[in-house]
Amino acid sequence: MARDTKVIGEAISRIDGLLKVTGGANYSTDFPVKNVAYGFIVKSSNAAASIKDIDTTAAEKSPGVIAVLTYKNAPKVAGSGNLSGGVILQEPKVDFYGQHVAVVVADTYEQARYAAELVKVNYEPLPAMVDFDAHKGEAVEPQRGRGSKRGDFDAAFVAAEHKVDQTYLTPVYHHQPLEPHSTIAVWEGSKLTLYNASQVVNGVQNAIAAVFGLKPADVHVVTPHVGGGFGSKGSAWPHVVLAAMAAKLVNRPVKLALTRQNMFNSVGLRQRNVQHVRLAASADGKLTAIGHDTTTHTAVTGEFIEQCGHLSSMMYDAPNASIGYRVLPMNVIIPTFTRAPGESTGSFATESAIDELAYELKMDPIEFRLKNFSMTDPSNGRPFSSRATAEALKKGAEMIGWTKRKMQPRSIRNGDFLIGYGVAIGSYPSRQVPSSTLVKLKRAGNDVTATIETAASDLGTGTYTIVAQTAAETLGLPMDKVEVKIGDSEFPPAAGSVGSIGAASFCNSVSETCIQAKNELQAKTGRTWVAPPTVAQLMEAANLNEYQTRVDARPSAEAQKYSSHAFNANFSEVWVNAYTGAVRVPRHVAVTGAGKIINAKTARSQIIGGCIWGIGMALTEASILDPRWGNFVTRTYNDYHIPANLDVGTIDVAFIPEDDRVVNRLGIKGVGEVGIVGVAASIANAAFNATGKRVRDLPLTPDKLL
Amino acid sequence: MRAFKFTPSSEPEAAVKAVKANSEAKFIAGGTNLIDLMKEGIEGPSELVDISRLNLTQIRSTSTGISIGSLAKNSDTANHPLVRRDFPMLTQAILSGATAQIRNMATNGGNIAQRTRCPYFYEVSVNCNKRRPGSGCSSLEGYNRNHSIFGFSDKCAAVNPSDMSVALAALDASVNVLGADGKTRVIKFNDFHRLPGDTPQRDNNLEHGELITSIEIPKSNFAPHSYYLKVGDRASHSFALVSVAAALELDGGKIKQARIAMGGVAPKPWRAYAAEKFLAGKTPSEENFSAAADSEMKAAIPLEHNGFKIELGKRAIVLALKRAAAGNA
Repeated sequence: MARDTKVIGEAISRIDGLLKVTGGANYSTDFPVKNVAYGFIVKSSNAAASIKDIDTTAAEKSPGVIAVLTYKNAPKVAGSGNLSGGVILQEPKVDFYGQHVAVVVADTYEQARYAAELVKVNYEPLPAMVDFDAHKGEAVEPQRGRGSKRGDFDAAFVAAEHKVDQTYLTPVYHHQPLEPHSTIAVWEGSKLTLYNASQVVNGVQNAIAAVFGLKPADVHVVTPHVGGGFGSKGSAWPHVVLAAMAAKLVNRPVKLALTRQNMFNSVGLRQRNVQHVRLAASADGKLTAIGHDTTTHTAVTGEFIEQCGHLSSMMYDAPNASIGYRVLPMNVIIPTFTRAPGESTGSFATESAIDELAYELKMDPIEFRLKNFSMTDPSNGRPFSSRATAEALKKGAEMIGWTKRKMQPRSIRNGDFLIGYGVAIGSYPSRQVPSSTLVKLKRAGNDVTATIETAASDLGTGTYTIVAQTAAETLGLPMDKVEVKIGDSEFPPAAGSVGSIGAASFCNSVSETCIQAKNELQAKTGRTWVAPPTVAQLMEAANLNEYQTRVDARPSAEAQKYSSHAFNANFSEVWVNAYTGAVRVPRHVAVTGAGKIINAKTARSQIIGGCIWGIGMALTEASILDPRWGNFVTRTYNDYHIPANLDVGTIDVAFIPEDDRVVNRLGIKGVGEVGIVGVAASIANAAFNATGKRVRDLPLTPDKLL
Repeated sequence: MRAFKFTPSSEPEAAVKAVKANSEAKFIAGGTNLIDLMKEGIEGPSELVDISRLNLTQIRSTSTGISIGSLAKNSDTANHPLVRRDFPMLTQAILSGATAQIRNMATNGGNIAQRTRCPYFYEVSVNCNKRRPGSGCSSLEGYNRNHSIFGFSDKCAAVNPSDMSVALAALDASVNVLGADGKTRVIKFNDFHRLPGDTPQRDNNLEHGELITSIEIPKSNFAPHSYYLKVGDRASHSFALVSVAAALELDGGKIKQARIAMGGVAPKPWRAYAAEKFLAGKTPSEENFSAAADSEMKAAIPLEHNGFKIELGKRAIVLALKRAAAGNA
């Protein structure tokens, strides 16, 4: 009897799990490469400087050292490759503290690390812009203006009966995935192999090819397993180039791993945002105006801003809105995509302000939200392909027990603790992007196995598993008859695991490819089948033992006529120690409408991960820049507090079933980003409900709630 | 990391002799602090004398109290039945620090001798009088949110990071030390750590080559009414913003004796003598706890970013005393 192949939607454990827990999964630096040398980075101790000289004499004499790579002997590059963080070692110049100014290459890691201390860099310091708070008034319009307006915000705001006019602050956050970034670079003639932790396999391939003037086909990126990325592994950073340069210089493979401390200055960050939010409403609780102005910073080397006001532009159907941005170029590492860029930090401001306005109106914050959204996206006039905001609010309210909440702050106390409840909603855009898949079928009698090849990546979130599920169900094969090969640029080019595009792009591509394989096989049989045939029957009838086909899947044109987002509702129960101000979140509820859920287990885990990130954003995480030198004072996990076991209570996750065939053929919206959106606001709103103290400056550390 | 010689030892006397013979040698036991410092180039010993196999791991009762071997692991110490029964506040303090993995490696001697986590101490590109004496202190005019409000000097404001030491200070422990001459000496816990003064590079009063062999805690009647409260930026593994070890000996509804020590507020575990004195003979009420806290915290001197520690310290003293008075169920 055939085994069940209806596996899409099931809660299936990750098929790469056993490999990982038994140590069999190779992460970048785990690959056994013969004759490998080790690189260690020398970082700049100035935020802006020209380098007068680098003395490498002592380092070169140190035991085991093979070479020291500096601007003096670095190969000249062919192009920028749009490298995040700028091209490296091309001139004696420093634009931010921690910038890589040299790499010591030695026979062992320890030898390289010690010799790196012996490299003497002679700097001529230049004026540096490192104090954002002192200079944020000098911020300018971004080069790519991303503001938007509808109606007449100013008039509506002035005329309104009820309003909120507040500024919300979020600090610099760092991604800090558990696997630090690392690369092994191996040259064979003019061909380069990079074992490199990457969220976007082809992105790194193309960037590095451009830097070294190679054909993309001559750059082979291998990244079968990635230990988290959250955006920081979404692009190629200078250390990838340095590994390749160093390998060329010493004519040996070079392994270059960033230390945890390096990670604060090497692979981007989420920038500090000052968000000025103005909301206005009529006495009956109808929003009339939304203003959201973000002041933030970028690097002197390039512009990157996250769209904090995006959520304000589309979430509520106020007739008047004004969204604006200003940006200050600074001598810091360039910011980059960080989990739900814009939406996560933006929702803290928007959804805190909505809570404040609900209090001003003396309205229940759920009721207030329900009254102010529509099924049309007010930012572009397109209908939402689906929107589960109302269902998520209703279900979440039941799950958390919203009736226990009292509108009046400081109403619930248990011993030394003040207890409060908060709510916040969120969304993240859903997109499918071009992604290709090759399916290879092999038959032995009635037994068919399928191999799926695509240059997708798995950050530990379940790409292997959802690809296998999609292929198994589409081909009518059991899961264990499907082998998934991803994380390698030799496979057909694919979307990256970024921006919640992965699942929709990979799975639709895999599904289309498997359908095409069946259709092509059926055509080859030249027969009409009464009952749907199995792949084995088709291959037998076509007299084939092997067959392969490839599809370059594209999003549909129909999807462009709609606005497609995953929507969620967050509810938090917060306990605040009345003496010490310490905040705990014993319970958080996240209800999400994210279209078709391919794997109930990995999707749930993704949402939980997003909520934990939200807890970190709300309560514990902050990177502090020293305005004297531009270095991060928070420089290890000791100082940069990611939430750990004691900081995370029960997280209850539910999904609203949706059958949205507009967003893409399989109806997948993606869950990687939306999980964090609204979480920090939900917690901060609950902390206000508990204490009566409105904290608009994250994180909510104990000192702010005394 | 500088290359170093690794010298195993099997007897305390030999270990002491080996370190004494080399001014650049250090003891290594659990290594949970020293290895980090070596990786970052803050410590660069030319020789590590391994004491991890010395027979200094016993935890036993003595005629005067309890003796805790310097090489007993933090986790074994916290969970030892004698410690749990007679000094539950020490158990709480140890378990509130670090992570299970670190506590499984870290020894008691290493815990009380651990170095500050001041970020400027770790950042070798900036000045630090503790790391490079005379170079200047980067924290005094820098980001000093988690620095001292008591006992600091114009040379250094770093705090001592140990939770265990705060409980030991409150319990009037003492430290037994073996010297290079083969002689032992006893250092009262309050004299073990130093205030920075003009020599912030010295965290404690151990001479080079001196080896901590055990920590003694005298018998007391504090067990039923003691509490270790730690307030950090995160519930899991973070160094204290403020912590309080509070112990009360109650007699007929009155406080016969109070012991209070604070962490996260000074370069050494900070005994709140003023608060202790205030409480002697008083009734254990929130009002008295609050007045005691005020009496202690009025001497605090805030830096630019840590003024909140004064109010937080008061509240933490009150809450710790309240929980101590309520008793350990």
